[in-house]
Amino acid sequence: MAPDMNPDVVSAIARLRATNVLSGGQAALFERVARRQLVSVRLEVRVLLYLGVLLLASGVGLLVAEHHREIGPLAIAAAIGLAVAASLLWVMRKAPAFAWGEVEPPNVAFDYVLLLGLLLVASELAYVEVQFTVLGPKWPHHLLLVGVVYLLAAYRWDSRTALGLALTTLAAWRGISISLIAGSLGPGDESALRGNAILLGASYVAAAALSVRWTRKPHFEEVFANTGLVLLLGGLVSGALEDESRWVAWLAALLVVAGAVMWLSFRLGRALYFVQAIVAAYVGLLRLLFEPFRHTLSSIPFLLASLLGIAVLALIFATHRRIRER
Amino acid sequence: MRPESVAWERAAEVREAARGWRRVGPIDEATDQAIRQAFPDPCITPSAVWRVLTAGVLAAVILCTFGAFFIAIRPGTAALQVLLFLFAGACLIATDALEASPRSARRGVAGATSLLGVAFLLIGLGLFLTETVKMRYEGAIDVLLIASVLAWGLGCWRWGSPLFAGLSAISLFLFLGRLPQARALWLLAGAVLAGTAARRLDGARWAPSHRRAAAIVVAAGLAGAYAALNVYSLDEHLLEQLRRFAPIATAPPRGLFILAAVATAVVPLAILVWGARSRRTFVLDTGIVLLALSLVTLRHYVHLAPLWVVLTLSGALVLVLALAVERALRRAPGGDIAGFTADPLFSDDRRQRALQIVPVVAAFTPAPAAPAEEKGFAGEGGRFGGGGTSEKF
Repeated sequence: MAPDMNPDVVSAIARLRATNVLSGGQAALFERVARRQLVSVRLEVRVLLYLGVLLLASGVGLLVAEHHREIGPLAIAAAIGLAVAASLLWVMRKAPAFAWGEVEPPNVAFDYVLLLGLLLVASELAYVEVQFTVLGPKWPHHLLLVGVVYLLAAYRWDSRTALGLALTTLAAWRGISISLIAGSLGPGDESALRGNAILLGASYVAAAALSVRWTRKPHFEEVFANTGLVLLLGGLVSGALEDESRWVAWLAALLVVAGAVMWLSFRLGRALYFVQAIVAAYVGLLRLLFEPFRHTLSSIPFLLASLLGIAVLALIFATHRRIRER
Repeated sequence: MRPESVAWERAAEVREAARGWRRVGPIDEATDQAIRQAFPDPCITPSAVWRVLTAGVLAAVILCTFGAFFIAIRPGTAALQVLLFLFAGACLIATDALEASPRSARRGVAGATSLLGVAFLLIGLGLFLTETVKMRYEGAIDVLLIASVLAWGLGCWRWGSPLFAGLSAISLFLFLGRLPQARALWLLAGAVLAGTAARRLDGARWAPSHRRAAAIVVAAGLAGAYAALNVYSLDEHLLEQLRRFAPIATAPPRGLFILAAVATAVVPLAILVWGARSRRTFVLDTGIVLLALSLVTLRHYVHLAPLWVVLTLSGALVLVLALAVERALRRAPGGDIAGFTADPLFSDDRRQRALQIVPVVAAFTPAPAAPAEEKGFAGEGGRFGGGGTSEKF
């Protein structure tokens, strides 16, 4: 949170104008903003749009959960269908033509109306499945369907938000929870989930590379790669920490992958990839340090962890000094 | 703050503004370069990602070292206090040295050492009060809260951390909550804090980080005063429960209840008006959050319609309102109304759009499909997601 008027910038503009670094027109515009005579509320509009979508989607969720028997399945399905049609028709009418490059949205609301339409599509599909049992015992596949719909929408309307949702929904279809807080990959068999996370993560990372190589929505690279790395490195860390019989193999794999990611991120100038890799490697190595002392209380592993941290800090400083961030 | 640190901060403010001008286009590379030369900033300033990583790893180093010492010497309570105070002293001295160097002042290391330094100090003080001085638990909490107000406040003054200003304000409100007449004190302290800090928001003599800290104090003061006035907080005795010996809860007098109800409605609107008139977006944001809390309070007492109707209608209303505001601003002559515009001006709009992915994914990603359920579909109890909720039909 920053105070909106900036006296340092105001005085700097006067000095830059006096030394002719800035023209009169430039100085007038910059000063108007620095003096808070012109203030942007774009962020506030975005937050309101996000809240509106959140409230509306929650309301619709509650409606179908609590009142589906009173109102009737057909009426509810039709009502949600109408809302979906209204949202997506608006999106189609406003959307610029498709292109493989980055397409600027026509206005600030575009992404949110699209998001609302997609969320309602997901609600509609889930509701139809429960009421009319289309998929039967394979009902979790509706998440696959929803994920694919999100993915198609992301490409058609060039929405990174829809792409992010598509990738996490597809992970949910494979039973994986992408959460920084959960502390586990999700409910179910750990080794199966680990395999799913690693496979899915690797395919997302591959999609990131292909997006850039084939120049097919290359700006989607960061969404693909960041989600993929969370899954891939998360799966490997989970193996190194939780698999009692093969943790050494998992750790070796983790160190190889993390090293490769660090090297690539350095070459690509992507700080966030580097951060994920170095954190994953550090957490994995903690297992190696603490394992010999697991049945005794010793200060040695803590001291070693501290020394390892200092080495990591040195690596961070060295990398930051040399990396050319994009 | 050291005068040279303030000078570096002021230069960084100008260079940051120039980066925005360059990004949007009004100035060219040569002008940007000229501005950089006119306002030299010797500090190495990594992006937020690097700063958070550095701070996190350094915090892990310090905590592991503390753990190693703790296990090696297995201290009693007296020795543990000494250890905590030693670590606090080392961290605080290191912070001062790191802040003095342009190579380390903005890398995140000083942030980690200062935060841990004050935390070690307060934990050590708490142990000293309860174990060495044998102070009673309730009295020790009071002293600790006063120490917390001072320690975070001094930390903010010395190193210019807005986070510390917020922690100091929270400690102050928690301390006041333990006194008799806590509600009146919260109201008074909130008003005084907000009023005093608001006068410093544009003060040229203050360092930029101190001005940001003042903004945090304004928001904390407004939130504290609102908490004292909110009718639900009054009705449920939320502040009175912070007291040493919470009084027996009795219903508030009717007149006071009505007064609080009126204040719950009026205060957020007054804050919104202040934000609009002063064109301070952080005051507007605070007003919006408090207004949302007032609407939730209203819903708690007045059941106009079922919850799904309230959620759906309020969602639609908020959407329409946001769209109308954006449209009106976009179509206004000059692109602004009363000094407000929907144009991003010199902020990084692409970055904002990229950052919006995180809350959207966090809120709307469905719960993972449980493999066991795949085998036995019952038809009625499945869990579905994707519509913003994990629907149970």
